[in-house]
Formats: sequence, C-alpha cells, structure tokens
Amino acid sequence: MKAHKIRSWTAACLAAVTVLSLVSCGGHEIPTNLLSQDEGAKRVVNLFSPMEKSNPNAENVARTAADLTISMAEERLGVTVDYCTYTAEDYQDKTYDDVALERARNNMDDLYLLNPDTILALGAEGKLMDLSGLDSAKNLREIIRVANTVDGRLVAIPQEVVAYGLFVNADLFRQYGLDLPGTQEEFLECCRVFQENGIETPIGANRWWLETFVLAIAYADLYNGGNTEAEIAALNSGEARYSDYMRPGFEFLQTLIDNGYVDARKALVSEAIEGEGADFLAGKTPIVMAYWGAANTETAYGKTDFEMQVIGFPSGRGQMPVIPMTGWAVGAQAEHAEDAIRVMDIILSDEALQLFSETNRVISPSKNVKVDCAPALRPLNDRIEEGVYVLGSNAGMNVEQWGNTCLIVRQLLGGATVDECMASFDQLQDAALNQ
Amino acid sequence: MLLSIILIFSVFGAVVFSVSQKISKEMSASAIQNLSESLDLIQSTIEAILHSETEFQTLIAREIARADDPMAYILAYEKNQTMAKLSLILTGETEGLSNTGERFTEEDLDFSAGGTISGLPVSQSYVNYMGTWSYTVKCPVERAGQEIGTLYAEYVYDAIDQSLPAEGFYNKQASLYIMDAQSQRFVLKPKGMGKRSAGHLNLTDFYRANDIQDPAIQAEVANCLSEGRNVLFYHDIREVHALNYMWAVNGGTIFLVGYVPVESIQQEGRTVNQNIMIVVASLLAAFSLCIALYYLNWKQQEKLRREREEERQLHSQQLAQALQAAQIASKSKTTFLSNMSHDIRTPMNAVLGFTTLLARDAENPVKVREYTNKITASGQHLLSLINDILDISKIESGKVVLNLEEFALENVLSSVDAIIQPMAKAKGQQFHLEVTGVRHEYLVGDETRLNQILINLLSNAVKYTPEGGNIWFRVTALKQRSSQYEHIRIEVEDDGYGMTPEYLETIFDAFTRAENSTTNKVQGTGLGMAITKNIVELMGGTIEVFSQIDKGSLFRVDLELRVVDTPAGAAGGHSETEPEEAADLTGMHFLAAEDNEINGEILSELLEIEGASCEIAVNGQLAVERFQASAPGEFDAILMDVQMPVMNGHEAARAIRSLDREDAKVIPIIAMTANAFAEDEKAALAAGMDAHVPKPLNMELLKKVLQHIIGRKD
Repeated sequence: MKAHKIRSWTAACLAAVTVLSLVSCGGHEIPTNLLSQDEGAKRVVNLFSPMEKSNPNAENVARTAADLTISMAEERLGVTVDYCTYTAEDYQDKTYDDVALERARNNMDDLYLLNPDTILALGAEGKLMDLSGLDSAKNLREIIRVANTVDGRLVAIPQEVVAYGLFVNADLFRQYGLDLPGTQEEFLECCRVFQENGIETPIGANRWWLETFVLAIAYADLYNGGNTEAEIAALNSGEARYSDYMRPGFEFLQTLIDNGYVDARKALVSEAIEGEGADFLAGKTPIVMAYWGAANTETAYGKTDFEMQVIGFPSGRGQMPVIPMTGWAVGAQAEHAEDAIRVMDIILSDEALQLFSETNRVISPSKNVKVDCAPALRPLNDRIEEGVYVLGSNAGMNVEQWGNTCLIVRQLLGGATVDECMASFDQLQDAALNQ
Repeated sequence: MLLSIILIFSVFGAVVFSVSQKISKEMSASAIQNLSESLDLIQSTIEAILHSETEFQTLIAREIARADDPMAYILAYEKNQTMAKLSLILTGETEGLSNTGERFTEEDLDFSAGGTISGLPVSQSYVNYMGTWSYTVKCPVERAGQEIGTLYAEYVYDAIDQSLPAEGFYNKQASLYIMDAQSQRFVLKPKGMGKRSAGHLNLTDFYRANDIQDPAIQAEVANCLSEGRNVLFYHDIREVHALNYMWAVNGGTIFLVGYVPVESIQQEGRTVNQNIMIVVASLLAAFSLCIALYYLNWKQQEKLRREREEERQLHSQQLAQALQAAQIASKSKTTFLSNMSHDIRTPMNAVLGFTTLLARDAENPVKVREYTNKITASGQHLLSLINDILDISKIESGKVVLNLEEFALENVLSSVDAIIQPMAKAKGQQFHLEVTGVRHEYLVGDETRLNQILINLLSNAVKYTPEGGNIWFRVTALKQRSSQYEHIRIEVEDDGYGMTPEYLETIFDAFTRAENSTTNKVQGTGLGMAITKNIVELMGGTIEVFSQIDKGSLFRVDLELRVVDTPAGAAGGHSETEPEEAADLTGMHFLAAEDNEINGEILSELLEIEGASCEIAVNGQLAVERFQASAPGEFDAILMDVQMPVMNGHEAARAIRSLDREDAKVIPIIAMTANAFAEDEKAALAAGMDAHVPKPLNMELLKKVLQHIIGRKD
C-alpha cells in the first residue's frame, strides 16, 4: 500500500516536471527591433578626486563612505558621476594639488575634492563656484564656514572635519614607562627615552604632514587664547609677522631633526603613510602623524596589533589637534554646473553626512550630525569637543597656511635653516600685503 | 546489482565530465577569441584616431610651410579637445613658441623610446598644463623640399577616451586602462562609480593591487611589452576568475591594460552550463528515482518471496511433522494394539483356561475356589486395562472435567501410602514418605485425580524398581506465589532400572512403554504417564522427569492448589472416613432393568448367592411398567442399566420418579452401567437415581451403596 502511494506520488511529480519543462520551453514572441531603447541622453558629472595606492582586497572605509553618498546622489538625480583621479608616482611627479589646480584652471572637471591650500588658491582666482546658496550649507558648523570662505564666497564644503593628530603605539610608551606627551619638552623626553632604548628614529614622517607640528605650536595661542580675530587681523595687516608665529615650531622641528628623532632625508622623499606606515604597524616606530580617518581604515592604521592612541601635537597648551579643511568644490565654469551643484547638495545633506560619518566614524561638518568615534581617537576627539584645536588652514588669513607651510617645511628638511624658512614666510606675507 | 549501478554512474559521470571538459575548453577558447576580437576593435579604433591626428598634423605642417609667418600661424591656433597645444621650433633654433604664447623647447619631452605614429615620432606620455595625460607628436615642416622647422602637437588622451565605448565593454564588467609602454604609467583610466579601484597608477601598482605576483607572468608581460606583442592570461582578480590582458596599440607605444571576469564574456556560457547542470541533475535525479523505485519494488518482491518461502517451509515442516506424528502415532498404536493384544490375551487366556479347568473340576470345591479366584484376578486386570484406555481417550478428547472439592492432603497421602506400602513391601522395597513444610492441610482440588497421579507415579516406581530397591515419596511446600494457593512439589524417586534418554523423550506420549528385557516382565497399558501428564496439566501444574539408566528415575510434579480457610469437614470430625458396613441383602427383592440376558443371569445368580432375588425387565419401558404394576413394597430397590433399547435407564428412572405412587419417589434406584465415569454418575443422579455402580458388578460395592442409601433414607 505504502509502495503504491510512493509510486503514485512519483508519477505525479514526474508528470508535473514534464509539464513545467514543456511550458518553460515554449517560445516567446520575437520583437522587430532586438535592441532595447535607451531612455534619454546620459547625464554626467565629472569628479576629480585623489586616490591612494592600495593593497589587494583592503577595505578603504573613507572611500567607501564617499562612494555611498555619491551613489545616493546618482540614484536621486539620475546622473552618472564619472571619477577622474590622479596619484603622484613619487615625489618627483606633479602633486595631486598641482594637477588639481591645473585641471580646475582649465575647466577639466565639474566637481573637485581639494586640499585647503588649493581651495584658497582657486577660490582667490575665482575658479570655484559660490556654494553659500546650497541648502546643505545652512547646517554647517561656523568654523567650517569661516575656514572655507574666500572673498565672502563659500567656495568649498567638506564631508568631514579632518583632524590631524599623533598616532602613537601606546604599548611602547607603556613598555618604557612613558606618559603620553603634551608639551614639546615632554615630547622630546619621550623621543630621548625611545632613542636610548634602541629606537633610533622614534618619529615616522613623510613629506606632507610634518607641518602639523609647526602649525600646532605656532597657532596654539592664536586659536585658543581668546583673541583670535584680532591676532589674524594683525597678521593680515602686517602688524604681526607669520614668521614670528612659525619660528618656535620650526625650531622645534629642527631640534627633532638635529637629534635624529626625524629622518629628514627619508621624510623628504616619502609619500604619506607609504614611507612610515610599515614601520609603525610593525611596532618599530612609536610615533607617526596622520589624519583622523587613518584610524578607521585598513588601508592606513585601522587595524593594528598593538594598542594605538591618537593624541594632539605637542604645544604650549598641551596636546593640540590640527584641523585643516579639505572640501568639495564646483568649478566656476563647470560644463555640467547645474547637475554638479545638485550632486553637492545631496552629498553634503545631513542625511548623506550622517551616512558618511557613521561609515567613516569622523567628525561631521554639519552641526546636526554626531557619531561616536573609534576608541583610539577619543583623546583627540575629547580635545576637539573641548574646543581646543588649531586650524590648519584659514581662508581669513591672507597667507595660505597649509600648502605654504608644507612647502617651507620641505625646505627645512632639505637643509635650509630656520631663518631661511622664516624669510620665506616673510616673503609670502609681503607678497600678500602688496596684493 | 550495486556494482552495476556504480558502473552506470561511473560511466555517466565520465561522460558528463568529458563533455563538461570539452565545453569548458571550447568556451575558454571562445572567451579568448571573443575578448581578442573586442580588444582588436578597440585597438583599431585608437590607431585610427592616432593616424587621423598625425594626418591632420601633417596637413597643418603643410599649411605652416605655406604661411608667410609660421609663428603667427601658431599663435593664431586655438586649442581644441584633441590637440591641447601646438608648438613650432624653427630649424636651427632650440626654442620655439606655443599657441599659448609661451616659450617652447623640446627639453621636457622624451622621444627616446623611438615610438612613431604614421612615421612621426611620438613622445613619452606626461601630465600636461591642463593636469591631464597627454603626448606630443612632432612633424617636420618642409618648404620646397627643405625642412624649415618642427611642428609639435600635444594631444590629450581624453580624446581617445571619448572614442572608446561609453558604457565600457562586457556589460561594464571589463576594466580598461591605457598604459604608456615606456613609462608603464596608466594614462587613461576607467570612469564611473566602482571604477576607482586600486592599481590605477602604473603597471607595478596594477600588479600589486591585483596580486599578480607570478614571476613567469610578469616576465612574459615584460617580454611582450618590449616586443610590442599582446599578452592574455588567466588570473583571479579579487577572487573572481578573470582574463587579464596587455594589448599593444600603435606597434606597442601604448598598451590596453585590464581584466574582465570570464563569466562576463561567457554569460551565455554560464547559462548553457547551468542548463547542462540542470539537465544532468534532472537525469541523475530521475535515474536515482528509477533505481530507488526498482529497489523498493525488488525489496517488496523479495520480501513476498521470502514470506512465501517461509510459509512453504513451514507447511513442509508441519507436513513432515504431521507425517512423522502420524507415523509415530500409527506405530504407537500398532505397538499399542500389539501390546494390548498380548496384555488382553494373557488374562483372557487365564479366564478361559481356568473356566475350562473349572468345568472339569466342578466337583472339587477347593479347585473351584482357586480357579474362580484366579479368574477374578485376571478379570480385574482386564478391567484396569479397559479403564485406562477409556480414561486416556477421554482426556485426549478434552472431555475430562475436574471435580473440585475440598480435601485433606493428609488423607490423600495416607490412602496412597496404604496402597503403595503393601505393594513395595511385597517386592521387598523400601518405601520412604517425607512431607515437608506444608502449611495448609485442607485444599481444593480433584482428590480422585490427584490420587490417580500419585498412584500412577508410585505404582510405576514399584513396578520399575527391582526387589530390594528404594522408593522415595516426597511432598514439599514451595514458596507461595499467592496466599490463596499452596504451592507443593511432589517427587517420586527410585533407584530402579531408569530410562534411556530416547525413551524419556516419549515417556509422556500415549501408547508408549519402555521396551527392554526387564520391563517386558511388567504388564501395563503404557498410558499411565500420558494420563498423569494430562491430569497435571489440567490442574495447571507441571511434570518433569529425570532418569539415568540403571540408576533410577525422578518424577517431579509442581502443583498449585487453592487453600481452604475454614474447611467444611474440619469441625465435624472424621465420620466420612469411617468405613461403611455393607448391607445384608438376605430376603431382599429387586427389580432389575437389564437388556443383556447373560448380565441379567449373572445378576440373578449373584443376588441369589446373597440370599436375595430379582426380577429382570429387558428394557426401561418394561421396568417402568413392572414397577407401576407392583404392589407397594414389593421391590426393595431397582437396579437400572442405562443403555437399553426402547427406553434407556435415565428415562426410565425419571418415569418411575414421576409415577403417582408413594414409593415412586423413595424407592432406591441404582444405576448399573458400563459407563463408569464421574460424568455418568452425575447424569444418573440427575435422572433421579440414587447411586451409580459401575459394571462389572462388584457385589461388595453394591451392598455398601445399598446400605448407604437405606441408611440415608432411614
């Protein structure tokens, strides 16, 4: 009986399969035109942005976060954002900033992701569109607005507040009984102890980010002394000299070089993270400097075998974060300006910034968006939350800081004296005053 | 079967494997051809652009040659999307002018690789003043066959990008870079979301980001780059099987570099593969299903066949057993008949022999008495034979009913002892009776049958034990399984002849008897043990036997008999056990219903010997009529045969009891019948008779019965 039932069911199943197979094999009507018709012309926005070299299969959280917001804009506007990237092969190549300037000046793209010095340069040349009318601009923190306003025009808006700090191997500090340094003296003492214990070059450096030491020391009082506007006004008028602010920082940097705490020759030809990252991750170098997002991404320092802490740079006011302003800008004569502005409005909206900040775990430029930071970043975050930081760039200063300081630090690395470096600042200030 | 299935599966698997291998090879070849064709097309497109550019540049050079002021011509030129800059250096000078108005030298350009487009030298790629990758082609400006300068045209790669498929190729899955062969820098990169993949910088970066570390591949690529050859190789990109390519353009000055997932090329192939897999899976499933169904069917058939076979074997076995049983029964019965013939003829011979002697010596009272005594003994033996035969036939036909009554175990044992002790003594044997631990004296059971069991076992022991031997009769109380029942074990042991193991197997079968020279001296029906076993089982007990030849035998009977809490006879003394005196028949007159003339005559003679007389009626009807016609008190009692023509004894007794006369209800009616069993007695009593006396007539018994009836009625 049971067998009979099984046979019946099997026969029924086979019959069903046969019928389904026959139905599925049935023919479909063939259309006259075999090609599917595209709906309307493709709308494109060209975007120029940097991209670091990457290891296979490494997850780049920062890029992913940006891509998510771009994707949001593409979906909502029905446009395609075409990326164009440039990466310098080595220090002899044109830098990303050089190329960004050239491309913006020649209207090669619609959207640009620019460093602070480039923003100020292009903003001053009128090559960037005024973004103050964007809805998304209304939610910006004031510090962001001020830092990106050139000649009364908001020329760039960032997706994150990029804070630079010292990335330290807390295990090594603990091993040698060292507290995390706050002042220059404490920092030098740490370097001395490390060096005495066989770490010949305690600071890993590259040709880009040593300027953060200088800026932290130079402007710790200016930005945290309660007299910021007056001091900047004095600099812009020439009553105060940038070189006076910069000298202690350069002298400190010179001390680091002289003591061998920084390998100036290597730093001068090293790209960011490429040059110093491997030794830091290997636990050979206890101190490097990097931007906030580097603590979140595996392509930088997001995954270490030791306890990493991110603290501010040494200064007269203790650990000091340095915040330069990278930002998105639209070419003033962009071919697809209208769509580019719309893309900007979406990728800088609170919704997009929330997504970006949650993905990348960074400080958002919008006053409406707050997310928790990674544990390693808490010391740096705490200082910023206290309102203690130094701006790496400030459009309100008539001498661009971020790019110029970087270049002059390279002079120091190349063998120039501190006085020669200060003379360079004086020249820049004089040129600005003459304009 | 299993091997066949494995073989079929193996062959099928091999076929599928070879087919899939073949398809895979063909698809791989097809993918390579497909990709090659696509890359050839792109290569041709780019080369066409390059040639158009140089052709256009040559035309401009001619125009400049014809111009009065070549430098003015240059300055008047406006850049376009293809040509970003136009520069001219006049012959004999190291510095010239660009259309942007800037000074121009060849210093920043590298023509050392020797690459050309349509015969014109092309520089190594570089990032130009617009921040985009470009290259410069230089062309001589000749006037009247004489070179007056060199025209430098800077072209941007973006122009080539615009000519490439806008949506990429292979459904946007292929990545396409253009690499400058000399610097190995990537000068044109894919655009769009998801295209910002790593490895965008140069060939080394491409190797590193895509984990192409095989030295053999890198060496082959290096060779191809230096020789301007194409190279295509398999390498997984982010764990996706991909075809990687370096495709020479313009004789190898630039290369198309990239990768495409094989699946993207073989989209239809994947569908075909999936369909093949579905078909193969369906076939396998169908085949497996068929095998399973066949197996189930086979298993079911096998099960049926086995059941039939078992049934057939069982039938055969049963038939064989039945045949054997029939043969054994037949043999047993033949043996039995032979034995009976012997056993009956022996006393019969005595009866007839002594009868002859009686006739001869009728005048000699001593002889007559001796002969009659021997005739009586032989008759008694014949009677016991007949009783046993009838008993076993009744038991085997299931007609025996136990007559459960209260009895005293002690009485049973005493009476058995009284019977066996003299028998043993007569053979010079020692008889030992042991009773151990019996807790209850009064029990419920069929006392007569229990007696029968014990007598059978003990008389056998006496019978099969030689003179001077020992017989032990043990009654032991076992542990009670219920308080309501006494569990007793009866053992009869002797140190007599013993039995062979073969005989032990059949000892409880009917119609068997130990056959040997010794026991042949013993007469018996051979039914005793069969009767005993049947009665024991009827009582819910068990019987076992242990025996060794010449060492003796042990019979063990276990019985459970219900306990009597307050025995009925316990308080009334032992009046029943007192022997009853026999009646004196002198002067008594009986009415006897007896259809057999000889029996009637014997009865008359026997009664006459006792001083009594009788009147014979040859059937029940006549007996009734005679009684009806008799005067009250004419007959002292009626002796009623049961099986009679016209009217049987039972009907006659009822008829007499129903007569309307005073003595009809009280006159003793005694059944005298050859139907000698307890049931017959019950039937007689039920018919209104007062007692039952079995034939052959025992006058002593008759007298006792009469005394009992008369005493009771008095």
